[in-house]
Amino acid sequence: MSLIAEDIRVSYGRHEALRGVSLAARPGEVTAVVGPNGSGKSTLLGAMTATQPYRGRVLLNGADIASAKPWELAAQRAVLPQASRLAFPFSVIEVVRIGLHSGTAGDRAEVPMQALARVGLSHYAERSFHELSGGEAQRVMLARVLAQVWRPVEDGTPRWLFLDEPVSSLDIAHQLQVMEIARAFARAGGGVIAVMHDLNLTALFADRVAILAAGRRLAFGAPAEVLTDDILSRAYGCALRVSAPPPDGVPYILPHAASA
Amino acid sequence: MMRGAKGVAACAGLWMAVTAATAGAQQAADVLSMGGAVTEIVVALGQGHRLRARDATSTWPPEVTDLPDVGYVRALSPEGVLSVEPALILSEEGAGPPEAIDVIRAADLDFVEIPDALTADGILRKIETVGDALGVPDRAAAMSAEVEADLVDAMADAAQPEAEKKRVLFVLSTQGGKINASGTGTAADALIRMAGGVNAVTEYAGYKQITDEAVGLAAPDVILMMDRAGADDTDHGGADDELFAMPAIRLTPAAQSRSVIRMDGLLMLSFGPRTAEAIRRLNAALYAQES
Amino acid sequence: MTAIVDSAPRTRDRLSRARALHWILAGALLLACAASLQVGATNVTLTDLLAKAMRGDALSQIERVVLLDIRLPRLAMGGLVGAALAVSGAAMQGLFRNPLADPGIVGVGAGAGLGAILAIVLGAFLPAWLLGLTGNYLTPFAAFLGGWGSTILLYRVSTRHGSTSVATMLLAGIALGALAGALSGILVYIADDRQLRDLTFWGLGSLAGASWAKVLAAGPMIALAIGAALMLGRGLNGLALGEATAAHIGIDVQRMKSVAILAVAAATGVAVAVSGGIGFIGIVVPHLLRLASGPDHRTLLLNAALLGAILLILADVIARVVVAPAELPIGIVTAVLGAPVFLWILLTRRGLVES
Repeated sequence: MSLIAEDIRVSYGRHEALRGVSLAARPGEVTAVVGPNGSGKSTLLGAMTATQPYRGRVLLNGADIASAKPWELAAQRAVLPQASRLAFPFSVIEVVRIGLHSGTAGDRAEVPMQALARVGLSHYAERSFHELSGGEAQRVMLARVLAQVWRPVEDGTPRWLFLDEPVSSLDIAHQLQVMEIARAFARAGGGVIAVMHDLNLTALFADRVAILAAGRRLAFGAPAEVLTDDILSRAYGCALRVSAPPPDGVPYILPHAASA
Repeated sequence: MMRGAKGVAACAGLWMAVTAATAGAQQAADVLSMGGAVTEIVVALGQGHRLRARDATSTWPPEVTDLPDVGYVRALSPEGVLSVEPALILSEEGAGPPEAIDVIRAADLDFVEIPDALTADGILRKIETVGDALGVPDRAAAMSAEVEADLVDAMADAAQPEAEKKRVLFVLSTQGGKINASGTGTAADALIRMAGGVNAVTEYAGYKQITDEAVGLAAPDVILMMDRAGADDTDHGGADDELFAMPAIRLTPAAQSRSVIRMDGLLMLSFGPRTAEAIRRLNAALYAQES
Repeated sequence: MTAIVDSAPRTRDRLSRARALHWILAGALLLACAASLQVGATNVTLTDLLAKAMRGDALSQIERVVLLDIRLPRLAMGGLVGAALAVSGAAMQGLFRNPLADPGIVGVGAGAGLGAILAIVLGAFLPAWLLGLTGNYLTPFAAFLGGWGSTILLYRVSTRHGSTSVATMLLAGIALGALAGALSGILVYIADDRQLRDLTFWGLGSLAGASWAKVLAAGPMIALAIGAALMLGRGLNGLALGEATAAHIGIDVQRMKSVAILAVAAATGVAVAVSGGIGFIGIVVPHLLRLASGPDHRTLLLNAALLGAILLILADVIARVVVAPAELPIGIVTAVLGAPVFLWILLTRRGLVES
């Protein structure tokens, strides 16, 4: 039971966004995908969630997603998009409830409120979604995604969360809150794939990190193994220095001024 | 010519008064008449008192406008028609919609369609059909003979040598700077020919929007339009300036001589008892301008 | 105070309000039907006839014709057309993710109209066996095809990568309407007198031509289209979050869109074919319902069908009594009632077109 992507290739016209990327993610872990702008990390997430036409193979819990029906996939995994637009003035709780039936929580009416409480927004349940700030909207969407795969493990099968830059519009406190939620989901037996921009948060929360550059996988492994001066400087094309201060030795990345 | 027209009109008026007086006033008012010419004929036959209701195009003689109006004859409401409880419906050709007519016919009443034709014979046939339907065939025959003589007279008076015939452009509307003009096969076309003119547009049939250049090619000597106000003394100076300023019309002979004739639409186009009068009036207007 | 306990009951309120509305509107629909049978240009009334029937008296010929051949088919037609217009408005707004997307405004009605005009003018050139086969269905079916083609074209033009540009949609709708209008104009030019007369009857936007034959021709297609549209609730809710998210929560987006487009085209096309252009029902009804009980399509679509039927039946009552024995084209009545509401939507929610 895992997520396996094999030799994924995606091209937009003549531009090759992904040139054969493989990835294996395990339940119980947060797998982060990082890389510079345009490296193909969101494209990879799109391929793994069947949002994006691709060549190659993606196996989710052992089944090829290419032959799975949308509702079968929806019962296995939920996807948090980078940005969410919403047509019509749905209330916050109604947004969380959309798609509940396709997920594993079924008709359980209390799940949406619990999911909202999980992201700390239960007092906003009756608000119109359109009145929320960008960060609040992002957290409501996370609650919706959580409601869809409410139990990280169901019948012995792990559920998966695909998060595309889940903390991009959040302040530092909520960045930590959201990453804690993701890690808790993984610790409870689910799988989390997150496209990340912030290398320090990645180092703090990811169990494994895939580094993409120019449509290829540059490195894949534990943060301490792959978040190195050499690999990151190659990936991003600028000088970066990684330190691992005590007590826990989590890598900490600082830009290295070129003139210094 | 004007004297003749007045004489006939006076005769017709007297005749109407006489027949109305002799008609049995005891008959119930249970006739719905639809179509301007049809209603005129009913009244001219001295049967005006039998009218229960009319359609929107029946506006002559003026007293019929007091009757309830069932709307436009081509967009009838079946229940509206039935609500005036007619025992007899006299309708010009083309009443609709067809579904509404089907329903009306299904109800317990007589529905007589009066055939339309743009000729003198057509008018006579209308009179006879209406007379039969109203049960006054003798009166209809008398009126028919009268109208026929009048028409023959009017057309004979109106006749012009081919070379001197004026080219007439009948303009239905100039809405939005677009000219909708009559081609062949229309009431306007028929009346123009009867009145000793030539229809300037023969390239198409029916009323259609005509291009500016085609108006130039048609080279009308006179523009003929409907006078919606229906009054002769209305000042059309402003409207005329506007008309002759239209690019399409500016270069025509009609614009050079500022020749425009406005006549009541119902009088011109309904092909009923007053058509002889229409012929005389149009003819007078066309050829009086010379002198 | 705990927020969860506090807000949970209110949350259910909007949904239960929408469900209660089903019953309220169903009741109102019955009343509207009774009103429609009760009043008209003649003094025949439903109550009188019922009393007569109770006493065992026979109805007169006129009474039978008025009730059975005029008011009843007209009521059925009004209800069907109103429901069709409102549901296709709601479904199209869901599909395009915008409350301004109305089949009448974005050119679908014009496309359907073109189909209907084609059938009226060129139908005579069809081989006899085909005419015999299609019969009464030819005009509605052609209108459906016209509506279908324009909806697909519109969606193609205004939707890129799963998101709809409202400005493009409205502009494409204008272009589509102009094109259909122009082609219709050409057809009108070549039509003969009898066909012109048919076109005039058809174009006035009236239920005056309602007959059992028409109800039987249009009814099944409209019922089918409404039935299909009512199935779309969950899918359209998902689509409110964008096509990608809709797919992620388990909706077969392509199939859902195809069904929505077919249903909208069929409902709009047939409604246009039997009643001419009747505007604003499709935009006003869903908007009022969203204000009353929220945008959840699972309840919105059924409520729209009910309220659309009610409004059109009542508009028709107005159309045939205010100037009786003549009648107003019903399109005028709906425009007088609907256009101000449309402007009000634009005024109060200026962000709609830009977003």
